[in-house]
Amino acid sequence: MSTHQNLKLSRRGFLKAAGATMALPYIIPSGVLAAPGRPGANDRLVLAHIGIGGMGGFHLNDMQRFVEKGEVQVAAVCDADEKRLADAVTKTPAGAIPYRDYRYILERKDIDAVVIATPDHWHAVQMVHACESGKHVYVEKPACCTIAEGTAMMNAARDNKRAVQVGSQGRSEHEAYLAHRYLANGNIGHIDRVDCFHYPSPADDEPVPDSEPPEELDWDLWLGPLRWRPYNKRYAHGTFRWIMESGGGQIRDRGAHVMSCAKYWMNADGQSPVTVEATGTPPTKGLWDSCVTLDVTYTFKDPDWILTWRQPGDPVPKEERRPDEPEISRPGYGAVYHGDKDTFHHWGGDGGTWAERKAREWVPAAGAVEVFQSPGHKEDWFNGIKTGAPTIMNIDAAVGVADLCNLGNLSYLLGRKLQWDGKKRRIIGDEVANRMLSRPQRYPYHL
Amino acid sequence: MRTHADSVAAATTLAAGAGEATAQNAALQALLEGIQSSDEQVRTAAWRSAGEAGAAAVPGLAQLTEHQDLEVARAARRGLWQVVRQAGNPRTETVRQAVEAGLLELLNSNSSPALQHELQWMLSEIGGDAAVAPIAALLEQEALREDARMALERIPGKKARVALKKAFDDAPGDIKPALAVSLRNHGGKAPGVPDDKLRPVRPTSVQALASEGGAS
Repeated sequence: MSTHQNLKLSRRGFLKAAGATMALPYIIPSGVLAAPGRPGANDRLVLAHIGIGGMGGFHLNDMQRFVEKGEVQVAAVCDADEKRLADAVTKTPAGAIPYRDYRYILERKDIDAVVIATPDHWHAVQMVHACESGKHVYVEKPACCTIAEGTAMMNAARDNKRAVQVGSQGRSEHEAYLAHRYLANGNIGHIDRVDCFHYPSPADDEPVPDSEPPEELDWDLWLGPLRWRPYNKRYAHGTFRWIMESGGGQIRDRGAHVMSCAKYWMNADGQSPVTVEATGTPPTKGLWDSCVTLDVTYTFKDPDWILTWRQPGDPVPKEERRPDEPEISRPGYGAVYHGDKDTFHHWGGDGGTWAERKAREWVPAAGAVEVFQSPGHKEDWFNGIKTGAPTIMNIDAAVGVADLCNLGNLSYLLGRKLQWDGKKRRIIGDEVANRMLSRPQRYPYHL
Repeated sequence: MRTHADSVAAATTLAAGAGEATAQNAALQALLEGIQSSDEQVRTAAWRSAGEAGAAAVPGLAQLTEHQDLEVARAARRGLWQVVRQAGNPRTETVRQAVEAGLLELLNSNSSPALQHELQWMLSEIGGDAAVAPIAALLEQEALREDARMALERIPGKKARVALKKAFDDAPGDIKPALAVSLRNHGGKAPGVPDDKLRPVRPTSVQALASEGGAS
């Protein structure tokens, strides 16, 4: 099928587009004048957005600031929901072409990069396919739903030399930088424990029977790699988060933020836990099956430290802020860092990250340790695309965080402690648990 | 409030003098009653405790997955999964074998398609060589074959790979590519079969807005 058939152009627009098409298919790829496969420093990046509801809608709107500066062009939008897609088209200037099937986008040679903000169960497949098609990728967190997906994502980025940024944007927040710098300079001493807290996952208080999907939703495409099942309106939209297979609950949502900060600030991006043990309580009715309360303990060795994820855990009351400081609008999650000299806490950890006052007011002395200060999460990705520099939440780091989320849920599901070999990416002495590190995928929606 | 755990404990105590089998029957009965409770807390406590009952609970729970009350059916299904997950514990191989046998018996019976889908995924987690042939037989059934393919892909060992290879060699053209993927993921070879994973097939009816700037 020609990708042109989706266009509805005015006569003048048609002539202009037709002329452009005869001369060059679509837009001139930005990398034409730069190193092979990599746009030049001053080139405008040509992007497509895959998944434009929820966080996808946020990204589409947020990208406008780069469009207005002439740094990027949004050439295509994609969603399995036709109503959402039609709505996105009205919000996207300059004739972005709508697609239901993301693979049309991957065929387009003029598109440099894609922003993937689909439900979690699609992240790995679409990211791997995009890398294999030569696209740079921004993919929402959590990176993946299984250990095997994570392995495939790391391989795809490396083998295809693509710049990948994962949407744990807390790392790029200003107060995250202040917190990181404060901790890296030993202000609370040696840290041997980090306790994350988060309010519980919701339970489904409006369960409904399965039904026909709404006309605008391509249910088969929405399910993608998941095994087929009848539509139930409690799956989508947004509520996929509370289904273990697709969303994984709070630990895979906010855990991928708060524990991302922990691993980064503890300089532990390359470190895996050696044991994972979880207990939790499930919802008492309804379709959603991710646990309402959850308590996971991860132990790390060499260096030794403990990380916990607790729903609800021990929330820290929000701090009073000065009038000139941003208010803590999401105090319900964060983490407490325990050092041998002091403790430190932060709230949020995603697009809202608030550091305790002592980190904000700390003034580094000469010779203090400096840490990387992100120019912004998307800016950092663009830099990675153009220079090849590692992104702040590159795929290896993001898979390391997603592993925590996925192993936590796995331990909860199995009801037993797991011994993890991070190098081999295998569970020690538990063959059945190892089977669950991957999940067979429906054809053709596979890695 | 009398909880499900209380019921199980009481039943177990009462039956203690009458022998272990009687106690197990009483506990199983309490479990199935708990699953059918109209109280969601009791139902939940029941299905969460189902793993302890092991293979003995499989037929009763499977039957309740067809219950007309959706929440009872859901609790039964979750109870069945608890049995499977607990049976996979590496320290309880005999329990795993017993649960596998129970699941296979159901798979070979006239279970509903919905239950057969579920059983295949359960067997994908704990099934061994004994599960391969019964699952492979379902590759012949159009409504079940995609789950059967995925279940076989997940079961380790030569027997599952041989079954996938045979299915691949014998398969009609429409399912050959899917079987090729499973065979390759299992460590086998499936030369000469294209993979359609990157081929777009789902056009949209949404049209781009008319734009002075046109497509570019």
